[in-house]
Order: sequence, then C-alpha cells, then structure tokens
Amino acid sequence: MSAADYLALLQGAGFTVMFSVAAMVIGIPAGLGLALVRWARVPVLAPGVALLVSVLRAAPAVTLALLIFFALPRTGLSLGPIAAGIATLALSTTAFNCEIWRAALLALPRDQLDAALAMGMSRGLRFRRIVLPQVARAALPALVNELTLLVKVSPAIAVLGVVDITRAAVRIGAQSYEPLPPFMAALVIYSLIVFLFVRMQRVVERRFA
Amino acid sequence: MNTNRRTLLATGALATGAFLTGARLTPAQAATMAEIKTRGFMVVATEDDFKPFEFIKDGKPTGYDTELLELMRKSVPFEIKQETIPWTGLLPGVGSGKYDAAVTAALITKEREAFLEFCSPIAESTDYYVKKKGNTAITGIKDLAGKKCGVQAGSAMLSALPELEEMLKATGGKMGEVVQYVSYPEAYQDLAIGRTDYVVNTQINLQSLVQDKPGVFELGQAVSKKIYIAWAVKKGNTEVRDLLDTFLIGARKSGEMAKLQQKWFGLTFNMPEHATAG
Repeated sequence: MSAADYLALLQGAGFTVMFSVAAMVIGIPAGLGLALVRWARVPVLAPGVALLVSVLRAAPAVTLALLIFFALPRTGLSLGPIAAGIATLALSTTAFNCEIWRAALLALPRDQLDAALAMGMSRGLRFRRIVLPQVARAALPALVNELTLLVKVSPAIAVLGVVDITRAAVRIGAQSYEPLPPFMAALVIYSLIVFLFVRMQRVVERRFA
Repeated sequence: MNTNRRTLLATGALATGAFLTGARLTPAQAATMAEIKTRGFMVVATEDDFKPFEFIKDGKPTGYDTELLELMRKSVPFEIKQETIPWTGLLPGVGSGKYDAAVTAALITKEREAFLEFCSPIAESTDYYVKKKGNTAITGIKDLAGKKCGVQAGSAMLSALPELEEMLKATGGKMGEVVQYVSYPEAYQDLAIGRTDYVVNTQINLQSLVQDKPGVFELGQAVSKKIYIAWAVKKGNTEVRDLLDTFLIGARKSGEMAKLQQKWFGLTFNMPEHATAG
C-alpha cells in the first residue's frame, strides 16, 4: 500500500466519524423527543411513534439508504449523497435512541416526580432539574454503545457513493488485487475510533458523577 | 461543560449545513437534451472497483471509461459531472433518473434492455474462467464439472453461466456449487485462498488480473458466447443516447477509442456500431 492509499483510508475515517457523529447529534435529541411522547402517553402520537420506531428498527441501513437516495426523489425531495447518508444513519439511530431513552425514563422512580410535584415545580422545571439529569446519566452507556454500533453500520451508506473507511479499503483492494492489507489497516482504524469514543464516555461519566 | 456544549453545537451546525447544501428541492428526472443545455451540465455515474474499466488510483478515478469520458468532455458544449458510486446503486440510479447516463462497463443483456437504452458498444467480452496458478486438476472446460465456481452476484457473468452448464453437459459433466460475491476482489481473494476452484469473469478483467498477479492466477478458456459492453441511459431517453453515440462512433472512426483499448486491454475490438442482447 502506498502513502496515497493510507491517506485515502484516513480520509475515509474522517467521513465515517463525521457521519456517525452527525447522525448521533440529530439522533440523541430526536430519540429523547420520541421517547417523551411515548412516556407521557400522548394520545394518537404515542402509538404513531411506536409504529415508526418498529419500522425503522426493522429496516436494514442499506435498504433505508437506497430508499432515501433513489425513491425519495419521486416525491420531489432530492438529497445529495452526504445529506442522504446522514439522514439514513440519523433515522436509524433515532429509533434505537428512542428505546434507550424510554428504558431510562421507565426506570426513573415515580416518587421522584411526586416529590417534585409536592415542591410545586412546574412541568418544565421538573423535566430539567429532576428527570433529565437522572435519565441522561442512566442512558449514557447505552447511547455510547449505540454510537459505536453506528460507526460499524456506516459502511452501508457507501452504496450512495460516499467513501467511508470500508469503501476506501475496497477501492485499494480492487486496484492492487490484494484486499487483505487495506482491510487490516481499516480494522485498526475502526478499533481506534471506537476506543476513542469509549474513552470520551469515561470522561463524560466522571464529570456527571 | 461549556466547551463540551460548544463542540456539540458546532458539530450540529456542521451537520445542518451539510443537510442544507446537499438538499435540492428539484425532482430528479433523467434530463432531456434541452434540459441539459439549459442547466449547463450532465451527470454521469461511474464505478470505483472495476479495473481496468474504472478504478481509483491514488485517490483519482482512472481507467478506460474515465479516459473515454475525458475525450467526450472536450467534444460537448456543456460540463459533465462524474459521480463515483458502487455497482449496487449504479444502474438503479440511472433507471430512476438520478443520473443521466451510466458511464460504466455494462454488459448488454435482455433484462437490462427492459429499463435501459444501450449506447454503441465500447468493448466486447467473452466470459473466461481463471484458476489458481499450478492447479493441475483443471486443464480444460470438462475439468470444471463439480468444481466450486465464484462469480459476482447480479452480474451478466452469472446469468451467462447456463452456457457453461451446457458445455459441461456435452462432456457428460455437471455444474458444481456457485458462490456469489458482491464484487470481484473478494472472489479473487477466495480463489487465492482455495475456497473456490475457479472464478468466471470477462476476458478483459481476467487478463488484467493475470497480468498483475502472474504468480497467483492463470487464465483458462472461454465459457460463454461473445457479448458487448456499453454505456447506458434510461429507457426512452434516446436524445441523450444519440448524443453519446455520436461521440462514441466519432472516437471509433478517429482511432482514439482503439488507442485507449490498446492501452487498457492490450487488444482492440472490431465491433458493430450498434448491438443488442444476443
């Protein structure tokens, strides 16, 4: 492998991280929003969210990506490869994040809310001071876990012409007819990325605690 | 906490930015000639792992198709944007109108003619088999009976395998197990490891493989009839096909196409100006 090949892999790593982080930045609050809708049992909306989450969790990322990129233009909304890639991963991870947040919300002791109510806290204050700090702490490990899974799902969006780590490795292998070295290098890069995310989780956990 | 929030916000802004710049609120329809002229550009799709037709070397697209496209850029009054996309999404992308043309090595088959218009052929192809160097168990077609075969999923080579089956039947043999791969590099790797006994691909691709790895692979014999390779546009978009044809036939007459064939394949073809599936 040449220096240009390593550079291509690192560029791919940049895209992989960019896509995963962008999807997570959209997916964490969106997931929380959906989870709150279900937790609060909002009529009509709550069953709708349940259905949406079931569909999104069932859809493989490649299928979702092809659907967004090639089928959505028929409705008049044509996304570029980068936007379509982020949309795919964000939609997919939102569904999983929703379930993570919901589990954390369900585990929150009821008496915490009753006590807050007894103190005369408004709904918004209750959420900010009592609910969010506790569920965020409970959900953090699972959210970071989801992020590492997202990094490994991201090669799916290569079907849109986006060059992530895996696609960069495929290209190098196709050019040299030796796929093994680029894939070994790709494995090392993926490991480093996941290791970094897990380290970040430790740091954030320590701050929260 | 503050710095954390700031980085989070910055990433969010970046993501939103990417969304907005990437989104175009225009319906994606394969453009007609008039539309291409008004908007000033045409969008074509090429592959990235199909050496020697299209591949990436040192981060830049190259190969036979890419160089033909370079020639075409000089002969048309509008810009040609080249999108590089894996095979999986390429023909569906042209069929659904996302791209105006598939500038790739698409074999002309009956199934594809149902949703694509093929241009004047750019190469011809016969399927060959390749085996591991020094594998004395395979010396000719009849030895392929009962052996494990590697081939690309959804490829024209896969749909031409019945021809090999017929050849084997004539020698009293039977087709062995067929393993399908997403793309050829994996198929070659498995052949080198010994997980399959032979791989079927076009003569051009295998020649390039054997040239690069003479110590590992050895070219066998033809296992199909001759078929043609061409660029394609969406079914019904004859205007754009005619434009591509004018360029392709011109490049053929001027000898430039033959020069590129010699450079990338080491041989030239004597092909009809128009071809349909056999």
